[in-house]
Amino acid sequence: MDKIRLLLTLITIAIVVVPIVGMLLAYQGNLLGLFVPPEITETADALFGGGGDNGSGLEPPTMVGEPEYDEATGTFSATFQFKNSFPVNITIKSLTGNIECVEHRFTLGNASLSKPVSIDAGETGTLTIVGAWTNAAKSHFETGHKNEEFVDVVLVDFAVDISGIQIALDPSQMEQTMQVPNPAY
Amino acid sequence: MKWVNAILAKFNWFGLAGGATTLLVIAVSLIYPWWQLTVGDDLMTINASPVNTNFGFLDTSFTIPFIWALNIVSILSLLASGIAMLIYSIIPRKSYSKHLLGFGYKKPLYTVLFFIIGLVVTTIILQAVLSINVPLMGSTTSTLPIPFVSGVTLSFLLTAGFQWSFWLAVVAAALCIAARLYHRKVAPTPSATTAT
Repeated sequence: MDKIRLLLTLITIAIVVVPIVGMLLAYQGNLLGLFVPPEITETADALFGGGGDNGSGLEPPTMVGEPEYDEATGTFSATFQFKNSFPVNITIKSLTGNIECVEHRFTLGNASLSKPVSIDAGETGTLTIVGAWTNAAKSHFETGHKNEEFVDVVLVDFAVDISGIQIALDPSQMEQTMQVPNPAY
Repeated sequence: MKWVNAILAKFNWFGLAGGATTLLVIAVSLIYPWWQLTVGDDLMTINASPVNTNFGFLDTSFTIPFIWALNIVSILSLLASGIAMLIYSIIPRKSYSKHLLGFGYKKPLYTVLFFIIGLVVTTIILQAVLSINVPLMGSTTSTLPIPFVSGVTLSFLLTAGFQWSFWLAVVAAALCIAARLYHRKVAPTPSATTAT
């Protein structure tokens, strides 16, 4: 009876000790690898260690061409290019931001992505942002920028939803001014 | 009906069910995780169980070697427990049967308890060190700390929950405890027999 008890105790000890000691021996030259597999390092490098402007693998979108204003509908559109620096294909589900007048820091309207865009890993996709000026913005164009053909504006409170991950850029990361046609000119 | 009572009294049925369920838990847990965490729209998943814990980043799946070693410990432990419970349940009155029962019935319970404690401790550490609030059940939006990504704030939806395989393990643990309690009826101690 005692032999069985001893045998069961030895089995319990062996079950716990052998796999752990075996793994420690297998990784004795690389103990960090025991807890951090190469896949984690590669993913972290791809996400945060890339050559982005802000020190991360993420780069803010860059505007292509000039924004366009449609007087008939009272809407404007702007085209941006966004590089997918992630090691996987992504879908940009939404992109939102407010547009402010640079001179007066007056909110002129909000902008959003016209439709979701899928971008393959390492590729650059084109995003079309559409928006409409508010009635207050139209008044501001008339009162504050009456004789200006173009008005300097900036996109603020920029946020993008990539495959369920929301990325918000600080104003310092998105101080990209652009000129929009003045609807009151 | 005497023969029914005789059969019922001969085996520890809770032990048989507990042992069989424990072995079933091993097989099921190799495929279905006990607890699953999803980040974003399936951008990243964590499939956790004492038997098989792996991490997925879209098409890439990987394991952490130390956790894999712990998984092996759990598999062997549950396997030994299930086999011991089955052998004990068929011969509950042998002199060594109580040792088999003592060896087998606690392991599924300890496995479930250590798994829950491990999850809770991990979420507390993530909250304390990285300020990432990982739910044990349900959904929450978490924000990555600024020092990781300067000038950029990352927010992501975390959805977590215990899967049916976890509840199967709870059932296995409960059956093994029931087997321990039922043992008194199947194989009463000599003093108890004398008293009655």
